[in-house]
Amino acid sequence: MSTFNFARKEISFKIVYYGPALSGKTTSLRFIYGKLPEKVKGGFTSIATETERTLFFDFLPLELGSIKGFKIRLSLYTVPGQFIYKLTRKSVLRSTDGIIFVADSQRRKKEENIYSYNDMLENLDDFGESLDKIPLVFQYNKRDMEDIMSVEEMQEMLNKENKYPYFETVALQGIGVLEALKMMTKLVVSKI
Amino acid sequence: MQEDERLSKVQIVLTEEESNAINEMFGEYLADSEAKDIILLNKSGELIAKSGDITSDAAVMVSALAAGVFSATNELARLLGEKEFTITFHQGQETNIHISLITPTVLLAIIFDNRAPIGAIRFWAKKIGNSVKEIIKKAETRSKKQEAPKGIGQDIGNEIDNLF
Repeated sequence: MSTFNFARKEISFKIVYYGPALSGKTTSLRFIYGKLPEKVKGGFTSIATETERTLFFDFLPLELGSIKGFKIRLSLYTVPGQFIYKLTRKSVLRSTDGIIFVADSQRRKKEENIYSYNDMLENLDDFGESLDKIPLVFQYNKRDMEDIMSVEEMQEMLNKENKYPYFETVALQGIGVLEALKMMTKLVVSKI
Repeated sequence: MQEDERLSKVQIVLTEEESNAINEMFGEYLADSEAKDIILLNKSGELIAKSGDITSDAAVMVSALAAGVFSATNELARLLGEKEFTITFHQGQETNIHISLITPTVLLAIIFDNRAPIGAIRFWAKKIGNSVKEIIKKAETRSKKQEAPKGIGQDIGNEIDNLF
């Protein structure tokens, strides 16, 4: 649900990082936080368990430059990936303007990726939303690990018709993470 | 059409006049109610307006967390067979925060210190909520196509790189 504020000349967008547990959602956000200059980013908020697993969400506000006189604000959220937090995921996903799905490339995570993707579609459907209206970008993450699925296999699993842009990423090193975010920003701003 | 379907598509387009009117209203209420801060946000967690000593950065954080708390509370409501909890209140040693739903998509968060009795907090939350509701309703129903700034999303290819 983007918000225009003419007085402050601002447009705000909400972007949610979705995906299975331990796929690299929080790591992606932490990389963005570490990479961007102070003037652009707000504080990084993480509501995590004592073992650093996301309990509720991570949140990072960004105040980017201007496009045609309007300052672009992004609110980046991650959902908790663990199975038991289904309703929390749903509550974080509500009213989002765009979704970056962080898939785990490891072969043994195939089922978890599919479950998480379907869980996302179900939640969107509950809100009366769908990917026809909400932009989606994939991060095929952990490309540096052993025994990973090929990009073709990842596409076959999640993006059969090649409808959505994808990026091969290594979130720990930040490879591809900003590129995915830039693509998402372009998609949400283009929808205005 | 499900109710959520209608609601989640609502976009808020606040004009300069409306934004100024809200700020002026909040300024007056801040003095009258002795609240510390008044924050207006949407269910996405985006800050719409704020008044009080709270910094913009802190208000952005409060908005994200307040919307998160509110949204999670509503999943709790549904589990209990309730459609929605419209008010959430947190009481601390020094500070209290009252979060209330004033339109289907907009929340009002008011922060008080511990001198304010709960009855007064509820009274002011309702009063301020009712006052700002009319302005917000107009902003919510304003047609995206007609009044959103035109052409911003066109031909932005290279401009995205310059944003970061």
